[in-house]
Amino acid sequence: MQTKKITSKMLIPIVTAIIAIVFIYFGITKYGFMHEVRGPLPGFFPTIIGFLLLALSVLAFIGSLKEESPGFPVENWYPALGVVAIMLSTLVIGMLPSLALFVLLWLRWFEKFSWKATLIGFAVIMAIVIGAFVMWLGVPFPKGFIYNLIAY
Amino acid sequence: MENLQMLFMGFSVVLTLENVMVTLLGAILGLIVGAMPGIGSLAGVALLLPLTYKFNPTTAIIMLGSLYYANMYGGSFSAILLNIPGDSPAVMTALDGYPMATKRNRPGQALFTANSSSFIGGLIGMLILTFMGPLLADLGLKFGPAEMTSLLLVAMTSIGWLVGESPTKGVVLSLVGVLLASMGMDTLTGSPRFDFGNIYLLGGIPFTPFVIGTVGFSQVLKLMEERNKKVEANLNQKLTIKGSLLTAHDFKRLLPPAIRSGFMGTFVGVLPGAGATTGAFLGYAMQKTFKSEEPLGTGAIEGIAACESANNAAAAGAFAPLLALGIPGSGTGAVLLGGLMMWGLNPGPLLFTTNPDFAWGLIASLFLANILTLIIAVGIIPFLIQILTVPVRMLIPIITVVCVVGGYSTSNSMYGVIIMLLSGVFGYILDRNGYGVAPMLLAFVLAPLLESNMRKAFIISNGKLDIFFDKPISAFLLLVLFAIVLTPVIKFILRKAGVSKKK
Repeated sequence: MQTKKITSKMLIPIVTAIIAIVFIYFGITKYGFMHEVRGPLPGFFPTIIGFLLLALSVLAFIGSLKEESPGFPVENWYPALGVVAIMLSTLVIGMLPSLALFVLLWLRWFEKFSWKATLIGFAVIMAIVIGAFVMWLGVPFPKGFIYNLIAY
Repeated sequence: MENLQMLFMGFSVVLTLENVMVTLLGAILGLIVGAMPGIGSLAGVALLLPLTYKFNPTTAIIMLGSLYYANMYGGSFSAILLNIPGDSPAVMTALDGYPMATKRNRPGQALFTANSSSFIGGLIGMLILTFMGPLLADLGLKFGPAEMTSLLLVAMTSIGWLVGESPTKGVVLSLVGVLLASMGMDTLTGSPRFDFGNIYLLGGIPFTPFVIGTVGFSQVLKLMEERNKKVEANLNQKLTIKGSLLTAHDFKRLLPPAIRSGFMGTFVGVLPGAGATTGAFLGYAMQKTFKSEEPLGTGAIEGIAACESANNAAAAGAFAPLLALGIPGSGTGAVLLGGLMMWGLNPGPLLFTTNPDFAWGLIASLFLANILTLIIAVGIIPFLIQILTVPVRMLIPIITVVCVVGGYSTSNSMYGVIIMLLSGVFGYILDRNGYGVAPMLLAFVLAPLLESNMRKAFIISNGKLDIFFDKPISAFLLLVLFAIVLTPVIKFILRKAGVSKKK
């Protein structure tokens, strides 16, 4: 018998079915479904939706067996890796320097823009971040471990 | 008459320096975001949501409304000059816009036709909204929990069922959106629910980072595939405002399709799940049944006018159910509704009576945005090529940084960034597999309302289902719901029957 490779198209309904089962389980056992006097309990609505989702996930899974699955080029994940890198370096050098570093490295090193184009892009992004978020909204961005070490 | 008086009152709310400036800012940003291929109104509104935190709710929604509306104008620019629609409603514009710009060598006039028709369509949509909004709200006042439940089910199912490549996928995502929204606090009792012992999940999944991730950051991941595409305009002449003006004859050709499509587009916009893209498509299809001076598809003014007017009218019409019933007709509408709820406003039948300043201020701001956007859209014609040819490679880090900062600024914690990142990756995987995220967003926003109404209806009826069928409005809406659900099934059966007949 030929076995079919599990693709992302099949994986999505499997994941949604698992989500449905979790919500049904907790909905019925922990939060309650219906009370004779108080009416529907907190688990009522998620449980109904969970059952519907479970049924449709099965349908979607059957449908996915006939469909081709798309590819996910490694390069497409680079921005997500960039965000993870920003989050990690924020712990050390703070968020604003991390964002600045990300933009400079991305434009100059990854996209190989000229220094002129890199600096223009850098200036635009930092103007948005500092102008709108720091000065206008007053967002207290994390300063990082090194700053805290020096300041305190 | 009373509506017009209220509209003038709305203008008195809008015509403050701050509100005019944010309308202008929204119009400029909307035009730019709409013009740049690959961003779109949904991502544009989502990315700018954090910037509105400092405004009062009226000013904030005025900015987002203006941005959304201006986006409809901007989408046509790249469709006409590059044959790349900036947004899905502009797909139809490209059919005649690009040939008019390149084959007929009238790029400026094509842009001017799009701008003028957008203005006319939008104006018609707004006038109808002025009269229809309060009427819908009056009707909404007759709605109890059973009717609201049925209406919300129709809205959610129609978007999940009708939008995207497969009805099943649309509804699966709608249900996922409902379950994600049920995390945090129970809507009626306020007790914690589905928090899985996580202190952050006690407050539920935060709306702004979730939206920024699913539509903004997922867009960045998608743009990675287009980063090496070279965008070039195939024009033989320099764009100037003077050289773009229409002749009286051109204007005569433009007016009838723009007016027809304006009316049709508005009513399409009111329907949940239809929206600006369907409006543009139907506007173009309707024009095919009328006479055009040049054949459609060869650069006819009538073709551009029909779809541009219809999509702007639909965008304006979509505000009627959003404000009067609290039912958004599209993903962008859902983000706007989420924003309203975030600012403590509850759109619905009572909005026009409890917050008339807000409701009429927003409607008046759309009129203002229509005028300002037209002026800016004409003013930027000479600079359009430079705006449209900004490389995608440059946009990727810019949008990434805005997503990170936007996610962080919601709660001033990295939790927002984590939610943004996870929902972005989730949205990207879903999109690549043919699951559009708009139904999920809509369900995420509407779920608390649906749950509280459904539970109230069951409390009133002592747990009996009859309440949904005993009330005439609710029964009618449920019939509509069944019709929506059955349409693709019947289509499928007919298609199968057709295939077997051919065999």
